[in-house]
Amino acid sequence: LFLNISLLNGQSPPGKPEIHKCRSPDKETFTCWWNPGTDGGLPTNYSLTYSKEGEKTTHECPDYKTSGPNSCFFSKQYTSIWKIYVITVNATNQMGSSASDPLYVDVTYIVEPEPPRNLTLEVKQLKDKKTYLWIKWSPPTITDVKTGWFTMEYEIRLKSEEADEWETHFTGQQTHFKVFDLYPGQKYFVQTRCKPDHGYWSRWGQENSIEIPNDFTLKNTTVWII
Amino acid sequence: CPGGNCQMPLQELFDRVIMLSHYIYMLSADMFIELDKQYAQDHEFIAKAISDCPTSSLATPEGKEEAQQVPPEVLLNLILSLVHSWNDPLFQLVTEVDGIHEASDAIISRAKEIGEQNKRLLEGIEKILGQAYPEAKGNEIYSVWSQFPSLQGVDEESRDLAIYNKVRCLRRDSHKVDNYLKLLRCRVVHNNNC
Repeated sequence: LFLNISLLNGQSPPGKPEIHKCRSPDKETFTCWWNPGTDGGLPTNYSLTYSKEGEKTTHECPDYKTSGPNSCFFSKQYTSIWKIYVITVNATNQMGSSASDPLYVDVTYIVEPEPPRNLTLEVKQLKDKKTYLWIKWSPPTITDVKTGWFTMEYEIRLKSEEADEWETHFTGQQTHFKVFDLYPGQKYFVQTRCKPDHGYWSRWGQENSIEIPNDFTLKNTTVWII
Repeated sequence: CPGGNCQMPLQELFDRVIMLSHYIYMLSADMFIELDKQYAQDHEFIAKAISDCPTSSLATPEGKEEAQQVPPEVLLNLILSLVHSWNDPLFQLVTEVDGIHEASDAIISRAKEIGEQNKRLLEGIEKILGQAYPEAKGNEIYSVWSQFPSLQGVDEESRDLAIYNKVRCLRRDSHKVDNYLKLLRCRVVHNNNC
């Protein structure tokens, strides 16, 4: 009888939710997001529960708001970076409930920083009048590089407006880079990204562009016509 | 050397030690990834495998703020204890895994290398302590490892679970050591302005 009712009015227990990502931008807090799955045509409540390595108790998500819909934010207070979290999302409606597969999260291995900021481009000249593009940037605001909590490495990529492919350079821990042999008169687009020593690459940061002046070298070079 | 004073600058010492701790971390991470390939989809296995780490009883700072409140010489001694504690378990790992595990070659060669490099790391940290904090050297260094029961003769599953957990813990501890050393370098050498 129960089954018949659910088929008649199209209502059913919720589908299985799926935790699709957990990420820490700063190795001090983290967020997990889930895909809710079907709601079975009924108002459905979602809750995230977790237990920590070495503890028997199960806790509920401390903050469903900060990171937006279908997410749980763990502030510093709730984040132990050297412990595994076993995380499950439960969906419940009038007809029943379902739970996601558990996800095992080690905060140190879900670190993905924000992209670098303050990307600055400048065309400069060496003493011998050779021109180059001077690129510099700063680490992302929320990652603490100053104290050594993060050791950040960077990549820059650049592309002229006529090129199809990006040219990528790894810069190590350096937050500046020189590029020689650029075509005068062309506009170049530049982006940067960063990676902590034991984490994932950030997405590419905001694009910045600069035109390499045509007359830059000519203006400063003496041309001898004999 | 001039005046018989042959001390290496602290920055150089830290740089060298951190090169080692970083390398050790990479080795242990490789080792874990190699092993994890077999079990990543097996939630049940992982749930069963995760248990206390051999060094769990060693209280290390939880996060950044806690680590920064610990005096450098105390943190260095903690790191020393952590590294020291892995001597026996690494040796044990090599003998246990030998020939009985699919990933045994990858694990054994790395475990041996980590064992070797850990010795150098210990020397390096002791040198930093001796140079910068001579009065704290040798304080409270202890090995927390209580010989785990031998895995010889236990059933295959229990053995695989124990190996998985041990390698997981090794990766975590070498990560901790590397991270704390990098914190200390910025604090001691660069005055928190790295």
